[in-house]
Amino acid sequence: MAEARGRFTELVATHQRRASRIAYQYLRDVAEADEAVQDAFVKVFTHISSYRETWPFEVWFTRILINGCLDRRKARARRDRWFVSGEASNADGMQGLADSRSPGNPEQRLLARERRVRLAAAVDRLDGRQRTIFMLCHFGDCTPREVSAMTGLNESTVRVHLFRAAHKLRALLGGKP
Amino acid sequence: MGRIQHLHEDRLFDCYLAERNREAPDPRIAEHLADCEPCVARYTELVALMDELRADADEATSAVFTPERLRAQQQHIERRIEHLGHAARVISFPRPAGGAGERHEAPPHSIGRFVAAAAAAGLFIGVALGASFGWQWRLWPSSGSSASAPSLSSPRPSLGTPMVARETAPPPDVADDAFWSEFELMLDRPATRELQPFDALTPRARDFVLASYR
Repeated sequence: MAEARGRFTELVATHQRRASRIAYQYLRDVAEADEAVQDAFVKVFTHISSYRETWPFEVWFTRILINGCLDRRKARARRDRWFVSGEASNADGMQGLADSRSPGNPEQRLLARERRVRLAAAVDRLDGRQRTIFMLCHFGDCTPREVSAMTGLNESTVRVHLFRAAHKLRALLGGKP
Repeated sequence: MGRIQHLHEDRLFDCYLAERNREAPDPRIAEHLADCEPCVARYTELVALMDELRADADEATSAVFTPERLRAQQQHIERRIEHLGHAARVISFPRPAGGAGERHEAPPHSIGRFVAAAAAAGLFIGVALGASFGWQWRLWPSSGSSASAPSLSSPRPSLGTPMVARETAPPPDVADDAFWSEFELMLDRPATRELQPFDALTPRARDFVLASYR
């Protein structure tokens, strides 16, 4: 058991950063992203027996993580229907924290912040499936084939969604559509 | 003149994906990109946009998920996994499908019989006591003798005391009259129809008063 835990700790260390990046891009909230990553690793530990080695571990793990993030987004949407969301201020606060740590003068930091906000808003405007596929490919370092395995979509469909997402982002960010 | 047609966006994007995933691009696209400056410019623009998005995501994540935070996250995960080994103790219910010897509850037939017998006995005792008390209460006012009913002598002083006081004391004032009239009215009037039989069985205070006058 101790050996299994030791190996699992190594596994966490290997995948944690990438998982945090995906979850944060998906949820845009540090605490929620943190919890989503923890939940995903705990689920992996408890359901490791159901892992089939047909696909790499990353594919299986990312699928668990994304499902958790989707559940959280749904829960948040339900919550926001009834309560005034504090996420905008929270996101701003985290953005401010990120800016204070990033190098450069205040003007550069301000510009970087504006750019990030603009990019994040553009990604958020993608529709659900496009956003998921784009995030998995672009932030999760997954190939279209792996995304196909995670989502159950055809690989060519994944490519089409990915292309449309990029096309839309380009239009939203002021580039040539 | 035959190579004027430029690459479509999706071809450029495929090329970008192939390059990012370290796969070999389509040779025809690679060949076209090697020669066509406008397509190279478009491709460069696409790659720049994607790289910018990627760099932004990396930067934002690195700023938020610092090494300390990642370490803390790892510790949280370890702690949660440790707790999985010490799950809360759940007291299991007796198995319903177990053998007859494992069942500890009494058979339902004996309980039912016992409850029915107890209820019948209680009803019988209640009726018998009620009937005997009713008989004595009916007998007592007509006998005219307080000695024949010693058990019922105790309420007499309490009910008769004001009348005794009335004999010895000066006449009652207006408040006393109001009290007694109200009291009599209340006793004369059964509250509900269901209580009328009980009311008929109950001796009246007026009877006590009359008896004491006699």
